[in-house]
Amino acid sequence: MKLGGQRNGDMSRRSVSPILSVIVAALVFLVPAYLLPGHQERRHVPAGHVPFPSAAAVAQDITDDLGRPFTRPGRAPERIVSMAPNVTEILFAIGLGGRVAGVTRFCDYPPEARRLPRIGGLVDPNIEIVRSLDPDLVIAFRGNPLRLVERIGKLGLPVFVLDIGAGLEDLPPLVARIGRITGTEARAGELAAELRDRIQAVDAALKGTASRPKVFVMLYGQGLWTCGGESYLDDVIARAGGTNVASALPKKWALYKRERIIRDDPDIVFILTRSTADFEAGRAWLAGMAGIGAVSAVRSGRVYGLDEDAASRFGPRLVDVLDRMAALLHPERFGGEP
Amino acid sequence: MSRKAARRIFWAACLLLCLAGFLVSLLTGPVRTTPGDLIRFVGSPDAVRSAIFLDLRLSRAVLAFLVGAALALSGAVLQGYFRNPMADPFVVGVSSGASLGAVVAAALGFEAAAFGFSGPGLLAFLSGLGIVSLVYALSLRRGGFKVETILLTGIAAGALASALTSFFLFMRSDSYDQAVFWLLGSFQLAEWGQAATIAPWVALCLVAAVWLARDMDLLALGDETAQALGCPVRRVRKAFLAMSALLAALAVAVSGVIGFVGLVVPHWVRILIGPAHRPLFLASALAGGTFLLYCDLLARNLLAAELPIGVITAAVGAPFFLYLLHKKR
Repeated sequence: MKLGGQRNGDMSRRSVSPILSVIVAALVFLVPAYLLPGHQERRHVPAGHVPFPSAAAVAQDITDDLGRPFTRPGRAPERIVSMAPNVTEILFAIGLGGRVAGVTRFCDYPPEARRLPRIGGLVDPNIEIVRSLDPDLVIAFRGNPLRLVERIGKLGLPVFVLDIGAGLEDLPPLVARIGRITGTEARAGELAAELRDRIQAVDAALKGTASRPKVFVMLYGQGLWTCGGESYLDDVIARAGGTNVASALPKKWALYKRERIIRDDPDIVFILTRSTADFEAGRAWLAGMAGIGAVSAVRSGRVYGLDEDAASRFGPRLVDVLDRMAALLHPERFGGEP
Repeated sequence: MSRKAARRIFWAACLLLCLAGFLVSLLTGPVRTTPGDLIRFVGSPDAVRSAIFLDLRLSRAVLAFLVGAALALSGAVLQGYFRNPMADPFVVGVSSGASLGAVVAAALGFEAAAFGFSGPGLLAFLSGLGIVSLVYALSLRRGGFKVETILLTGIAAGALASALTSFFLFMRSDSYDQAVFWLLGSFQLAEWGQAATIAPWVALCLVAAVWLARDMDLLALGDETAQALGCPVRRVRKAFLAMSALLAALAVAVSGVIGFVGLVVPHWVRILIGPAHRPLFLASALAGGTFLLYCDLLARNLLAAELPIGVITAAVGAPFFLYLLHKKR
């Protein structure tokens, strides 16, 4: 009872809302929790940064695309988990296929990647499975939920986060960086140089072209889903000598309006699909829409398919897409229709 | 069966289910583990098993239990407070306010983590408490203090917060995974730091609630009667409101909005052990924690991909709730 009286006396002195007092008290009392060693460690060591005490550790620090320092392990990683299909493609392309320990369920290229353990999807990778693979390097991508990636880093696994490129010029450096963090600079450097040469070859072939055909890109099965001005495909179209009609949309991907396509009157349409059957279905769907039949591309039959996976993954096959697009847009420069 | 025996059975069953829940949580997950693995791990820990058993599974189970206890206790307190079985943390706007804070923080890219909370978690906590303060202040201004006023103000403020939340989510369609997390809840990102942050507060509120339980019993007789019987009605009411708001805001800050636990668990417990508030508060906390522990087990094991836990709590809670209500009649 005595305690109860004390409590009441204490409360009667308050004039402010008790909930406000709780907020203040919470902030005051939460400080000790904040000062726990675990929290400090979490605060000062960014996820993914794992100090290597070994003398063999390479002193050279790299920063990932979230701006977090990443200390390269002393020896080349042997068990790499790739959290995105484009990363998987790059790893295989620089000869690291044998060292990939886990991939997402979308990683289907090259076909060997399908046989590897799956960690889940792009937005729903499973932390427990990632940890159970005991990787010595986890390469994440900006399409992965950031908080999940950070949780993986907090388990003590070295996580390197890569951002999606703004345009094709970002692809060779991306390959080179993956080479640096995996200790395969030479092979990655070769691939980066090769990709750069191929991009420049297209530039050279298109030098002085007067026409820039209007292009509409459509992702089949999603309505008039197209790539906006912030998409790297917008850059691929420009480098292939075309003009993306949806370039003014300040987005990566967006739903386009049918009236706008009719107004824009594209000269050529690319449909992103995974199969020829889908392409045929997509072309029929588009041509069947009221008003679209009158659009130049449909009238002249310049509707072509592009490999959806190659075009939607920021990896080496994007240059194949560039080659095909350039040849279709400017057959006069590439020796006729491919 | 006598009420006393029924209570004993209830407590024993709850404790047993709770312990079993923790054990099953340790043993199940996408990575196959057997009881033998766990025993071998206790004998000779290695890094991978340690991470899976302790850092991922146990921390998650502990956090789920704490959040379940916090939500159920918050609901039990509010139902007593409003003398209304429909009351839960949503009613006074805590949950909607907290999710609004989280979604705004996520949309603005507010990432500064502090006190074991993520940036959105911290803002969720503050805005959850903020909206209750606002509701309380608005209710006071209308001359005196009425339960009906705070209930209606809370519902209105909660609706406004929900509308703003939807607006922010609509504006930032790329933060879909964050949206699902804050609106339906998940323990996927659970870590020990979060459990350590909320545990002392949940314990403190439980002790305070049990301590003030007699006063809550008196409030059930009506404020005038309670006052006449020596209960300092206004102070007790303030303390209970603050307590329930704090509990709900903490829960939302670490796990997003998880519905139904605060509403149904106190009901189950009341049906099973009666309306006296002291055992009700204790039992609600234990049963709520156990319930959420099992819901999280389902959320992470039912499908290959994780389900938001709010889906499970509603899907499991509602039918069982209806069954108990029906049986009671």
